[in-house]
Amino acid sequence: MTETILALVPIYGLALIAIGTLLSCLALPIPSSLIMLSAGGFAAAGDLVLWQAGAAALGGAILGDQLGYQAGRLGGRLFSGRRLTPQRAALMAKAGAYVQERGAMAVFLSRWLVSPLGPYVNFASGAARLDWARFSRAAIMGEMVWVTIYIGLGAVFADDILALADLLGSVSGLLAALALAGALGLWLKAALHHRQQRETSR
Amino acid sequence: MNGPHPSALGYLWHHHRPALIGFALVLVIALAFAVRLTLFTIYWSDPAHRNQPIEGWMTPGYVAQSYDVDPDVIRALLTPQPELRPSTHPTLERIAEAEGIALPDLIAQIEAAINAVRGE
Repeated sequence: MTETILALVPIYGLALIAIGTLLSCLALPIPSSLIMLSAGGFAAAGDLVLWQAGAAALGGAILGDQLGYQAGRLGGRLFSGRRLTPQRAALMAKAGAYVQERGAMAVFLSRWLVSPLGPYVNFASGAARLDWARFSRAAIMGEMVWVTIYIGLGAVFADDILALADLLGSVSGLLAALALAGALGLWLKAALHHRQQRETSR
Repeated sequence: MNGPHPSALGYLWHHHRPALIGFALVLVIALAFAVRLTLFTIYWSDPAHRNQPIEGWMTPGYVAQSYDVDPDVIRALLTPQPELRPSTHPTLERIAEAEGIALPDLIAQIEAAINAVRGE
């Protein structure tokens, strides 16, 4: 499987890199890290041009983010037609305000530090109507970091791309799981705090 | 104290079950990734595993870079094939196919050439 993908990179080159990063931004199971690492490796070997490989990966990723955001926006609109109770509407407004405030940072970090969460953050940002310009700015900056890290490491350690793919895959999976654990932990902590408050007020 | 009031865990189980299950699940996933990372680190820190053998997916340029030899050493072995334009960066697998030889034979030839250059 790994070898098949590696063999496709020098043959299909830039188109494969761009389509790979695009689809991976839409939660499709594309080994985009391996593709970018090997693109860096093949660039170091002279089979690809480094800046072109980087530009292809970045272009695909930016387009993929935009498609994910628009899909989320469309999905959110379909739901917003439903009537909400006043409490629920207040909760939705609160969530919306939170997304506007913290969303851009979540978008930026989910491009590269916790990249497995990226596609879902795209959908969620669109559904929660995070300001488009803010989303785009954070997404483009984050994708630049992502592409630079992976293609750069692939080019510098061209001989070790298989090891890098294994290690980086584990690290980003671990960080994504820990980020989710942190978020759910905060949620549960808030729930307990809420219960305590109710009990003391009784 | 715990009598009439359910414990914290019991309260969360009754009132926030999906979040609690999700929390446990992502902790298990995090643990699995931590184990995976440890195993890969042990595996790849062995230099023998990092010395990757020549494989069909590699291009002549990649082999040259990987084995730190002049690309011409490898290019000299290959008969130019009209259907494999250099601009398409053929892999060794495709080159072997176009030349009508078995991939292991081509790899053996390249290995011999690299060893010869290194032996000099």
